[in-house]
Amino acid sequence: MEHSPPRKVALLASCLLNQNAKVCQGANYPGVVTPVVEALRSRGYVLQQLPCPELAFAGARRWWAVYEQYDTPAYRAHCRRLAQAVAPLIEQYLRRGDEVILIGLDGSPSTGVRFTSSQPDWGGRPNRPEDDWQIVPRRGIWIEELEAELARRGLPPIPATGWALDMGRFDESGTRRDLEEFLDARAAAAEGPAGPEQP
Amino acid sequence: MSRDARGWRVALVPDALINASAVAKSSLPQVLEVLEASRYGLLQLPPPGEHALLLAVIADQVAEYSHHGYAVVAIGVRGAEPDGLHWRRLAPLLRNRGVALPPRHLIRADRDAAAESERLATFLAGYDLPAAEQQRWRG
Repeated sequence: MEHSPPRKVALLASCLLNQNAKVCQGANYPGVVTPVVEALRSRGYVLQQLPCPELAFAGARRWWAVYEQYDTPAYRAHCRRLAQAVAPLIEQYLRRGDEVILIGLDGSPSTGVRFTSSQPDWGGRPNRPEDDWQIVPRRGIWIEELEAELARRGLPPIPATGWALDMGRFDESGTRRDLEEFLDARAAAAEGPAGPEQP
Repeated sequence: MSRDARGWRVALVPDALINASAVAKSSLPQVLEVLEASRYGLLQLPPPGEHALLLAVIADQVAEYSHHGYAVVAIGVRGAEPDGLHWRRLAPLLRNRGVALPPRHLIRADRDAAAESERLATFLAGYDLPAAEQQRWRG
């Protein structure tokens, strides 16, 4: 067993390191979402990419969809398989005392953390008008299943937030500020009220 | 949303190149920066270990990209044992999914990191699908 000091580990939605995973017309960057990587690495986090559930299930050329369309037994079973694939790594981090956080993709039907997209009457021919969906405060399907798998293993809930890429209108500076506040609040909480220990 | 900024190119990258230790950082190129500048996304390979199901899940994703107009490459570390790509287990998984093995670029940790960054950037810039395939899938 390796005895290295605890690390700070950020679990990342797949598309934050690979925008090619996004649904058609959903990619805002060529590949890596650099502001997320910069914010995490400058604070000492190592990165752990999660699998993309939609890509392997509905394909690279899938239609846009909302939470209700993915909320099926088959898709949840697929997400559980992915969760079982990555959970041993996450469990290893947690059991060795690493600080683990999760950065999802707010507004996503699968990877939303604070928000997901919802429209119960979507279905049939994909000709809905633009912005014809709601943003609701709820986890996406993939995050729900991942958290359930970690809970089944007796692991504690992982602090989480989302990069707000799928909220309809993307505000990079606003979502970067949100992410940095989340990370800095974690750091402040770890230091405690008296601040960091002095040597 | 009407425009799409995806780069249509994906690199398989070992954990050791994404999360290099403090010691290794000085001798390895800054792979994430090179990938970003080269407009690549990445699929992260897990650290050494079994990871049978996770490798199968990664192979599923590679297959989807490879079959739909994306250029896929792999970046390893020469001399490392293993090279970080889990190649002996990943290659058969890819073949079973009808995927041609992606071209591999091996980084040499015993050489100057800046020169290796340049060599990697040249490799990444020089690889893509044939023009007809690009036209077919990317419009």
